[in-house]
Amino acid sequence: MNNSEGLLKVENLKKWFEMRKGILSNPVFVRAVDDVSFSLGKGEAMSLVGESGSGKTTLGKTILRLYKPTEGKIIVNNKDISNANPKELMWYRRETSIIEQDPYGALPSFFTIYRILEEPLLIHKFGNLEERRKRIHEVLDEVRLTPIEDFASKYPHMLSGGQLQRVAIARALTLRPKLVIADEPVSMLDASVRIEILNLLRELQRNLGISFIYVTHDLTTTKYFSERLFIMYAGKIIESGRMFEVIHNPQHPYTEALLNAIPDPDAENRKVLRNIPPGEPPNLVNPPSGCRFHPRCPYKMDICDKKEPSTFEPEREHYTMCWLHEIK
Amino acid sequence: MTENILTCKNLVLHYTAKKGVVKAVNGISISLLKGESLALVGESGCGKTSLAKAIIRLLPRNIHTYNGEILIDGQDTMKLSEKQFREEIRWKKISMIFQGAMNSLNPVLKVGYQVAEPLLIHEKMKKNEALERAKKALSVVGIQESFVERYPFELSGGMKQRVVTAMALITNPAIIILDEPTSALDVITQANIMNLLKRLKKERGLSYFFITHDIALSSELADKIAVMYAGEIQEIASADIFYKKPAHPYSKKLMASVPTLRTDKKPEFIVGSPASLINPPSGCKFHPRCPSAFDKCIKETPPTFDLGSGHLAKCWLFEKGWGKE
Repeated sequence: MNNSEGLLKVENLKKWFEMRKGILSNPVFVRAVDDVSFSLGKGEAMSLVGESGSGKTTLGKTILRLYKPTEGKIIVNNKDISNANPKELMWYRRETSIIEQDPYGALPSFFTIYRILEEPLLIHKFGNLEERRKRIHEVLDEVRLTPIEDFASKYPHMLSGGQLQRVAIARALTLRPKLVIADEPVSMLDASVRIEILNLLRELQRNLGISFIYVTHDLTTTKYFSERLFIMYAGKIIESGRMFEVIHNPQHPYTEALLNAIPDPDAENRKVLRNIPPGEPPNLVNPPSGCRFHPRCPYKMDICDKKEPSTFEPEREHYTMCWLHEIK
Repeated sequence: MTENILTCKNLVLHYTAKKGVVKAVNGISISLLKGESLALVGESGCGKTSLAKAIIRLLPRNIHTYNGEILIDGQDTMKLSEKQFREEIRWKKISMIFQGAMNSLNPVLKVGYQVAEPLLIHEKMKKNEALERAKKALSVVGIQESFVERYPFELSGGMKQRVVTAMALITNPAIIILDEPTSALDVITQANIMNLLKRLKKERGLSYFFITHDIALSSELADKIAVMYAGEIQEIASADIFYKKPAHPYSKKLMASVPTLRTDKKPEFIVGSPASLINPPSGCKFHPRCPSAFDKCIKETPPTFDLGSGHLAKCWLFEKGWGKE
């Protein structure tokens, strides 16, 4: 949508999953990501927020080319990688990495921490034994798993959830990637550890100049984490802009509902009902016509169920897909 | 004049485990007024769910110690046999919505039957009559009556949560224990369920015992907050006081760790990890993580000090009163 001097540019990206009810029946498609465009600058952090089933994880994984896009383009450093084959993607694998939700399942239990961190270096034929050792010590120090020698020789079962997630972060950083996607990196961790891990990620992102996509359902934590906020609903990015503007001046009725739904600790909360639209996100096989939020929208107009809204820019660099902002 | 609907005095629940005795509930005294909501907050593994289970007496086999006093609606339930408790108290006076309950609905039974089940078991009602009551209970929680014929897989997450709420309501209990009732739901659905719980509380004068680790969410229901750490209640305060000015150092740390949407406050994390319930620290159990700890905290367990108008804190700082520390 903006920022042409970017690292990553996504144009009209679609990822539909084929689903068959029986062998002979016609396939139906789950439109997990449906026509998404945006760009991300070098060293920039963005948050991608949506409810479960909104397509945020699919979008992240498609960008990393863990899924093949159905349509559209993914352009990295002016190279189009949307249709590249696995061999052509080796350089891309080296420059990108992912941190997933479940640190308990993400690390092989029969490898020591050292071996886990060495794996990506071996795959990408990085340096000799000594250079690898140096790099592994470097990343362990960065994620503050010290004393390093102690942790390097441990196995995953000997660590706590927070420590495991630090290992997962270290592993994501071993090859010095340019783009990291963290998909709900703290939702499985104890509340008291979450802030610690998020602070660490933010610090590393800044110090190492990584472009970062933080994928989450938890809007409250994004504020401390990124400059830009993208809100996803039913496979589409329905609002995006600078963090402060989106949070304090939401332009899409869905974003407004999402913000209304989140309490800050306040004794007055118990006395009032929250102003929330009823219903739940739509089925992505047969999404509603026109604007996908129209069945739940309190401001629904005639046009909303007939025509899909285009992207409007009601404020500078603040975009929304909602007919309310059409300039007549 | 409002009266206590639930009172616990010196409640103790210890489990036997391989590594030793797990002191999950350690001499807890707590009370709940009729129509009042209490939020029990604390980190995972501090014994919140164990306290609830001790109250509704749904205990595992490996019990080491289970004693103290529990008064539910004036009745001393510790003196009742298991049969009496099941027939007179559980689900009649106090019911519970379990954590993740929506995922434990029986997939091969129609929703209506599952909602009606407490009536069949606890009130020995006829099936047709019970199904009629189930229809009414579903409409109370905002689900069409025709849904009694549906199976759980036909419902969304939010609807399943409404179904288990209907199950907890159907016998008209005075108290409902909510154990992380929205932990698997999206924020908008969560807000809808909170709206429902607020409405039910108002219409029916229900008392909630609301267990959560989410401080921001606790403020949606709580008239009163109890902070639990290492099997003990560290502070009890009214909502008006707690969210503005918590007293106990642990409560302060918890409040400071909450990320907020509308303020510029930066959340802080609590250094160290939660105390073990098997080998808890000496003296005050929070002392290894407490920024205000002094000698006495390591040696002696603090009693619960009364800071005035029902505000209690288990911390040596308040030996001389609040504000004088």
